[in-house]
Amino acid sequence: MTLSSQAEPPLLEMKGVGKHYRGVAALKDIDFDLRRGEVHAILGENGAGKSTLVKILAGAVTPTQGEIRIEGQPVQIASPSLARRYGIAMVYQETSLVPSMTVAQNLYLGDEKFFNRLRGTYIDAQQFLQSLNFPVDPTATVQSLGTAKRQMVEIARAVRLKAKIIIFDEPTATLTPEEKHHLFALTDRLRKDKVSIIFISHALEEALEISDRITILRDGAHVITDDAKSFTRETIIRHMVGRSLTNELYGRAGARAAPRPPGAKVLSVQNLSMQNQVRNTSFSIFAGQVTGVFGLVGSGRTETARIIAGVVKRDAFHGGDIRLGDKSVRYRTPRAAVGDGVVYVTEDRKGDGFFETMSVADNIYVGRISSRESRGVLANRSEMNALAKQWTQKLNIRALSGDSSVIELSGGNQQKVVIAKGLVQDPKLVIFDEPTRGVDVGAIAEIHQLIGALADDGLAVVVISSYLPEILSLADRILVSRQGRIVEELSPDEATSEAVMFAAVY
Amino acid sequence: MKPLSKTLDRWFGRGEASITTPPMDGAFRPNDLLDTATIVLEAPAPDGLAAIAQGLVVSSGQSLKRVNKPADAPVATFDAEISAVTELPDGGAAVGLFDGRIAFVGGQNDGKTIAAQAGLQCVTALTPTRDGALLVANGSAIHGPADWKRDLMEKNACGSVWRLDPASGAREQIAGDLAYPYGLLDEGEAVVISESWRSTLTRIVPGASKRNVPVIEGLPAYPSRLSRGAGGAIWLALFAPRSQLVEFVLREDHFRRRMIEKIDPDFWTAPSLRSGRSPLEPTQQGGVKQLGVLKPWSPSRSYGLAARLDSAYRPIASFHSRANGRRHGVTSCLAFDGRIYFAAKGDGIVVSFADNGATS
Repeated sequence: MTLSSQAEPPLLEMKGVGKHYRGVAALKDIDFDLRRGEVHAILGENGAGKSTLVKILAGAVTPTQGEIRIEGQPVQIASPSLARRYGIAMVYQETSLVPSMTVAQNLYLGDEKFFNRLRGTYIDAQQFLQSLNFPVDPTATVQSLGTAKRQMVEIARAVRLKAKIIIFDEPTATLTPEEKHHLFALTDRLRKDKVSIIFISHALEEALEISDRITILRDGAHVITDDAKSFTRETIIRHMVGRSLTNELYGRAGARAAPRPPGAKVLSVQNLSMQNQVRNTSFSIFAGQVTGVFGLVGSGRTETARIIAGVVKRDAFHGGDIRLGDKSVRYRTPRAAVGDGVVYVTEDRKGDGFFETMSVADNIYVGRISSRESRGVLANRSEMNALAKQWTQKLNIRALSGDSSVIELSGGNQQKVVIAKGLVQDPKLVIFDEPTRGVDVGAIAEIHQLIGALADDGLAVVVISSYLPEILSLADRILVSRQGRIVEELSPDEATSEAVMFAAVY
Repeated sequence: MKPLSKTLDRWFGRGEASITTPPMDGAFRPNDLLDTATIVLEAPAPDGLAAIAQGLVVSSGQSLKRVNKPADAPVATFDAEISAVTELPDGGAAVGLFDGRIAFVGGQNDGKTIAAQAGLQCVTALTPTRDGALLVANGSAIHGPADWKRDLMEKNACGSVWRLDPASGAREQIAGDLAYPYGLLDEGEAVVISESWRSTLTRIVPGASKRNVPVIEGLPAYPSRLSRGAGGAIWLALFAPRSQLVEFVLREDHFRRRMIEKIDPDFWTAPSLRSGRSPLEPTQQGGVKQLGVLKPWSPSRSYGLAARLDSAYRPIASFHSRANGRRHGVTSCLAFDGRIYFAAKGDGIVVSFADNGATS
């Protein structure tokens, strides 16, 4: 940020903007401005109103009050296409790409010529992606890409549109440290080109690192806007939640409680293989413990969990053995795994975690009817409502009512619905895959407490996470995955960030 | 349906036919504790440990040696090699010999020998019961103790446990069809045995309708002797590691038959009390250094391992000498006088460290 940029009128100005849903205020009287060529982070808990605010800018939501000015001119952003015309592009937290189309086709979607030469499109896309340093094959279909690469395509699309304002909603949640480095370098370049960036992230260190200014929202209201350098991690959290959560979040890493002793061996994975993604991996999971699995993206953690839960199948020939208790199991469907008390809470909650147009109650009940406890073939409305009430209270899911559709909820509350859907199945073994990805700090603390309570209740709990402080604070035992197999086991006493990362990389 | 699915499983190598080994993790997480333990005795092939009136003794070849006084003369020497030893409540010891005889040293039966009996010629473990009898583990009905490798490669399960009256020599079989019973622990009404070839601990209740109940299954190594420690702990020695290669060979009947016929047992693809010393051994040369640890490119056929179990037989800690270690082939461990002793038969040493209840 420079003095001249401060003197210029803001590129974007929002005054007294508000949004009400069914009489409930999602945003209250927000004042916000964005300068030319600045990175402006918007932080807040889930449900604080960040997504609503940026959706208003992206034309996806119409405000019920207030005024928006771009370059001093009042505007009505009534649709996404109008937002694009005003030079606003949004990179969504969950990608909005067309899975069956190639990367290049997605990049140029809506800009196709009448006679489209696919080879030329691929060459253009290749050059463009290389200029951004994104190692993505333009001819690959989006559905064949991992989450991190999909995110890269989403970012590349926004950059390609030459937008004046780019909104990044949790852009780094799925990226590896190296990919994040590329993204931050790209952000710097865009800043130099006078592109303004609105950056939403739950990783507070990232916001402190790359942003010029930070705005904090709480419960739909504006709390503070100031230069990034005047904030620390603790002051941000205090403004976000109105109390200090530092100890609740990652406190165990500093003054760690004694790790829980292992109970009976619940799961034994022996020499499991699946193509080149899972390579002859072996490990055990014990009851009454949180087993943390750390590894870089692509290290085979998720694939292993998905094989265990019956979502994907291991190699047909000599694919290894999975023993649940003393029984060798080979699930062909997740339902069979659920029947045996194995629950997998997915990392891709929007794609695999819930039915977005169904209500909170329906989603939780879907979990129940696939469980061992389920009897009968007809839905029982009173049981459904009772379950919804019980689990929304238990997990503190903040929905307007049990009838609210899940898509209306914030990321943290959506994640809690996915967790409730799993826990209602009365599991013996719960595998959480990136349980706090795209979740705000308040909800992270609640989810962490829940995970600890499940282990205290004697369940075998596995937490797969790419976020080291989370693993270090939660796990009673840490497994490190690299190149498709578990390569190291560490106790919490031995596990430092350096030791875990060393095992994950070398 | 069952035979069809079994055939398919065999074809695909899955289910019961999968060639897998349990991981060494959790309480069995590898460490170097055995290699850091103090050497208290160097002797040829130390095997069974027993705490008798003269102190702690270990069987080594044909002798019973004092562990803490290596310069002293042996407590006893026999005309055959010793295959098992146990302390008796009267301060004496019962000793099983390679030819099947059971001899007594010290105590009220000092000097007495019970002759070898048909079907009881592979004495692998002994333990006294509370009523004065002696429990005897007979590893195999076909082979002697020296031929344990052959017994595994022939996939025999013809071991048995006997109850013997030391006074009269009368015997009674209390369990049979066992896959090389190698350790015994008397529980009063029941006996817990380690079945090496099944990698399990099994509880036998004489006279009960369902006599054999698994206590722990799927151990990552072949178990041997059991003993009681302080605070209700149970010590288990495991003498060789399981590996996918050996599991594979155990499924390849034709290959295994030819190997047994044509190759010296020392060079079989089979578990061993000590491997890696001869260049003639198959698949044991070479290795890679990973995370600062030298790892053989093929799984080691020998290893040093002992485990501390809680009173419910759940593993709570383990003590390892890894592929590059020098305390392999632990056949027994015993808590004595505030220390825990390990007999590493493969490397010819007895090591010990203070028994402070530490976990790995």
